[in-house]
Amino acid sequence: MSYIVPIGPYHPALEEPIHAKLITEGEVIKDAEVFVGYNHRGIEKLATERNCIQTLVLVERVCGICSHSHAFTYAMCVEDINGIQVPKRGDYIRVITAELERLHSHFLWMGIACHIIGHDSMFMHIWDERELVMDLLERMTGNRVNYAMVTIGGSRRDIDDDLRRDLLAAMDKLKAPLDRIVDIVLNDRTIAMRTKGVGVLTREDALRMGAVGPHARASGVDIDVRRDSPYSAYGDFEFNVPVCSNGDVFDRVVVRALECYESIKIIRQALENLPEGPINLGNKLVKIKEGVSVKMHEAPRGQLSHMVVGDGSFNNHRISVHVPSYKNTPTVPHMLRGNTVADAGLIIASIDPCFSCLDR
Amino acid sequence: MQENKVTQITRDEIVPLAERMKKAGRYLVMIHGWLDKDGQPVVSWDYSVPPAVECYRVVGETKLPSIGEIYDTAASWPERELNELFGIEFEGLDMSKRLFLPEDMLETQGKGQIMVTPLSELVDNMKKVKEEE
Repeated sequence: MSYIVPIGPYHPALEEPIHAKLITEGEVIKDAEVFVGYNHRGIEKLATERNCIQTLVLVERVCGICSHSHAFTYAMCVEDINGIQVPKRGDYIRVITAELERLHSHFLWMGIACHIIGHDSMFMHIWDERELVMDLLERMTGNRVNYAMVTIGGSRRDIDDDLRRDLLAAMDKLKAPLDRIVDIVLNDRTIAMRTKGVGVLTREDALRMGAVGPHARASGVDIDVRRDSPYSAYGDFEFNVPVCSNGDVFDRVVVRALECYESIKIIRQALENLPEGPINLGNKLVKIKEGVSVKMHEAPRGQLSHMVVGDGSFNNHRISVHVPSYKNTPTVPHMLRGNTVADAGLIIASIDPCFSCLDR
Repeated sequence: MQENKVTQITRDEIVPLAERMKKAGRYLVMIHGWLDKDGQPVVSWDYSVPPAVECYRVVGETKLPSIGEIYDTAASWPERELNELFGIEFEGLDMSKRLFLPEDMLETQGKGQIMVTPLSELVDNMKKVKEEE
């Protein structure tokens, strides 16, 4: 018997609105479609009425998880158009914030993945560790969500010696619980049974559909903007890019868990080698010169791109924001086919989707 | 470091370029669109050619070939977005379903800016309508 099972756009199993239409035969999903656009806020249009400092505030509101990534990428575009050289210390602070953001985002996703498969003790354990990162972000920036750490020409807040020492100590403290989380993720039978062989995306399909970030790396696609097209201070740090090959939900968990170690490694290097000097060029409001710039950033979910068109006035002539979920969401129907309805929620969640980001 | 390399191309070069990029294993970063200061539509195909982003731009065309068959959803989603919000037509692109606009707004395709008009503009428009009345 064939059924159409609708999920969403508003459903208790979904953190954000998306509509998935599952065409099933019995328990098995034969075909699927996804529909987005339920969170479209017209942010790109709003940005054309704002200057670059106001736009930093606006683009941070694109996403509640990777808010710093948006401000970071937008600022890089404006700095590129205007030929602004960010002081080295400002760049390092931007990178430290970005990697802390990646840590909390990956912890958040791993917790939710465990919650979806019914492993609630792991969900609570992982989120408990995430709190340590959230506390660090709050202490460093004053905020838990929209950090407001970026300004055109640098960073807005400095890291003093006390905070630097505490951040380094926190990175040490984080390693033991992370070891434990990775050990459980790799060896727990419940996690393996619910995630291995589920929602597979092959390397060929990931390349064909242009999947990005940890989602692509779990399918064996070795890409990472931080390494391939270095920007800001990323060229100064050594780190590995974890890549798996099976392309199932399990590998997506493993890639994100291993990436946490690399973020800690980057944060440590940045803190240990934090350059002396100014953190910004004085928070001045500048006109955006005539020109166009496209910049990419490896956000927690993958390649984020911003484009800014300037016309010589204070306001943006046009900005365009395209997030990793924009590339990864179209792969969902492909991954759903052949799996059971019970796994649909997990498979949708496995790309770490952000539909607020996607819709803008 | 990450830099932009900009090249202006014609509409006939779009597909061969996409085929060449795909063959070389390049990622399509995004297809961007905007109106320049003269009101001319500009569409830019931005490819990641590490460490640079290569931007290939077509100016003044509203009907362009789709590269959806080459880059699959990585191209067809941005093409659908540009169609809905900018009215750019992509030959060969399946537009039977909406992407961002609500289902009942299909009849407004190409006039998507109606959906994203800022509140301030809406209020101004309302005032104008009232004044006219």
